[in-house]
Amino acid sequence: MKNSVGRLDRAFNPRSVAVIGDKMALGYMWLKSLSQFQGKVYSVQIDEREFPGIAALGVDNYLSLQEIPDEIDYAIVAVPGTVTPMIVQDCVTKGVGGATLFTSGFAESGTDEVRKLQHTIAEIARDGGLNLIGPNCMGIYNPRLGLRHSPDQACYDGGNVGFISQSGTHATFFTLMAPMHGVRVSKSVSYGNAAVLDSPDFLEYMGADDETEMIGLYIEGVNDGRRLFSTLQKVARNKPVLIWKGGATEEGNRATSSHTGSLAGSPQVWDALIKQCGAINVNSIDEMMDVMKVLLHTKPTSGNRVGLAAMTGGQSVAITDAFTGAGFEVPLLTERSYRRFEPFFDTLGASYRNPLDVSLNFPHLDRIIKSLDILSQDENIDSVVLEVSVPFMQHLTWLDASLLDELVDELARFKGRCRKPFITVVVPAHVETEALAIRDKLVAHDIPSFPSFQRGANALMKAIAYWQRQA
Amino acid sequence: MGSNPIGAAIGMEDHLAATDIIGSAKKQGRTALNEVESKQILKQAGIKTTEIKLATSKEEAIAAANKLGLPAVLKIVSPDILHKSDIGGVKLNLNSENEVGKAYDEVMAAARKHQPKAKIEGVSVQPMARPATEVIIGMNKDEQFGPVLMFGLGGILVEVLKDVSFRIVPLTKRDAREMIREIKAYPVLEGYRGQEPADIETLENLLLKVSDFVEKHPDIKEMDLNPIFAYKDGAIAVDARIILES
Repeated sequence: MKNSVGRLDRAFNPRSVAVIGDKMALGYMWLKSLSQFQGKVYSVQIDEREFPGIAALGVDNYLSLQEIPDEIDYAIVAVPGTVTPMIVQDCVTKGVGGATLFTSGFAESGTDEVRKLQHTIAEIARDGGLNLIGPNCMGIYNPRLGLRHSPDQACYDGGNVGFISQSGTHATFFTLMAPMHGVRVSKSVSYGNAAVLDSPDFLEYMGADDETEMIGLYIEGVNDGRRLFSTLQKVARNKPVLIWKGGATEEGNRATSSHTGSLAGSPQVWDALIKQCGAINVNSIDEMMDVMKVLLHTKPTSGNRVGLAAMTGGQSVAITDAFTGAGFEVPLLTERSYRRFEPFFDTLGASYRNPLDVSLNFPHLDRIIKSLDILSQDENIDSVVLEVSVPFMQHLTWLDASLLDELVDELARFKGRCRKPFITVVVPAHVETEALAIRDKLVAHDIPSFPSFQRGANALMKAIAYWQRQA
Repeated sequence: MGSNPIGAAIGMEDHLAATDIIGSAKKQGRTALNEVESKQILKQAGIKTTEIKLATSKEEAIAAANKLGLPAVLKIVSPDILHKSDIGGVKLNLNSENEVGKAYDEVMAAARKHQPKAKIEGVSVQPMARPATEVIIGMNKDEQFGPVLMFGLGGILVEVLKDVSFRIVPLTKRDAREMIREIKAYPVLEGYRGQEPADIETLENLLLKVSDFVEKHPDIKEMDLNPIFAYKDGAIAVDARIILES
């Protein structure tokens, strides 16, 4: 199936898009999503009542796909289920590069009649060599080209993370959340019931795509497990692949069959698959984002000895429990490091053993940064974690904007010279808005930040396990 | 001898190919291979099992026990009896010809009493293996991913705590290595508190051989090597069960 890579290229990087069946009842969501598209947009709609709405968006409407005087690289089909066989045939005749079937109510509904309809559509597409995505899905997002499936999705260049999702919601949420975490998407696809194209096809495509350096996959089931096994083995050898298996419990499993009509298979076997292929197993969209942040924005290590710096005593205990619980060692530092701390570190109610309890060394920025340098240069330490405590800084009436910017700038400089993974935990307590503002500043410098010790510890450990396997 | 439908008393010296054993079982409409057949196929695949002979008379049983060495184990062989020990169809630690002969009669009588309609092929005779840490290797087919191997420690750890690991066939060396170390009871295999440590490398190779065997025989639907005795210098499958696709 090597040629599926080239075959999907037109659909993922289209110069022209046709939307078939967008309408007022949908709020013209498809045409509005394409308002920033860098190529040509066409509409196909036969209902006269919809013409003014489409014209108001500045889009040319045609009565059929064949009438469009242009090649169509990508088609979005949003027509009622009963009409889909005809429209899919039209896509074949027109020779479109790929078609997303947004229409739902197929195999996931569980009745024989619609199952048959899905089968019919798949047959038409296969016979005609059409790259059919779906049904029951949102299709492709390419931020570089402004190809979107939600008007809220951002347009930008330089994304390097691919996302493949059986669910439309997860594709939408992931792509909306990603920039807030410093994760930039190259391409994403929501593929629903997988009547023709399935996860191995998209994995193969993203695996070969030069823009895509890391791949996230949300999957509920697969038609050909053996093909997924061999494709994933190949792709995960070259790029990190993170897999979130939906329906990992018996109950969740039942939900997948009414969601995308998938045969889900046993959860233990999915775990085995992920391990055997060297992919990374995650259990939620948050964990997916967390691990990606570490992989994208820190330097790799294969060691699990961590240097921890917290701002207060209680947090120095909590951060140590969290990291130890995730499988880290929190070793004592070398004598040399202790000799370096001694001249400047105020030990009144504080400590520079590992973990560090910074306390009233704040707000002396130079001492904080010096402490991080010592930690990162210590040969007993493989990675460095800093707690940024918003309530504590506020308590010291220290949290004014310029000092905060200075802290973040200093941390960015530290990150630049630190040869080991460096992450931050921004503890919000009762000041969540302020914590988010700090996170945004850190993200702008590609410094990974987490809202809890546990999430930071878990993400760093999963990344380290990946690096160990690669080593 | 010679009255046995599978073709003469099957001793390990008979080298019917695995495909022949599978083929003749299928011809007879059976999907379950008996212990003697299962072990013979496994032996050909390079998987070490206890030596085994099928006896169809008391005299054969005594001769087999003498040849294989005492103490001996006798088990009923019947496609219709799945839980042999529950009906008194297994006798362990038989130390003399006398005991073997008596055990033969008892096992046959127990089978006839509990399952009078069961088809009885005979009694298997095996030397009693020295007990050790018990591990199990199982194979099952997943509807999406095909054959999958399972590894765990025998007994309560598998049944109650589900402390097992899985890998999809074919396994790599790394898979075999990781799947053994992944179970929580792994320290037991390393020789916890002075217990005999298991030969981990042999267990890894055993998993690879089973993977290879399963890959070559798509007719096999399920398989259990349970228990396998894991010694410090080797491992031996003491019981084995193979189910074919129908």
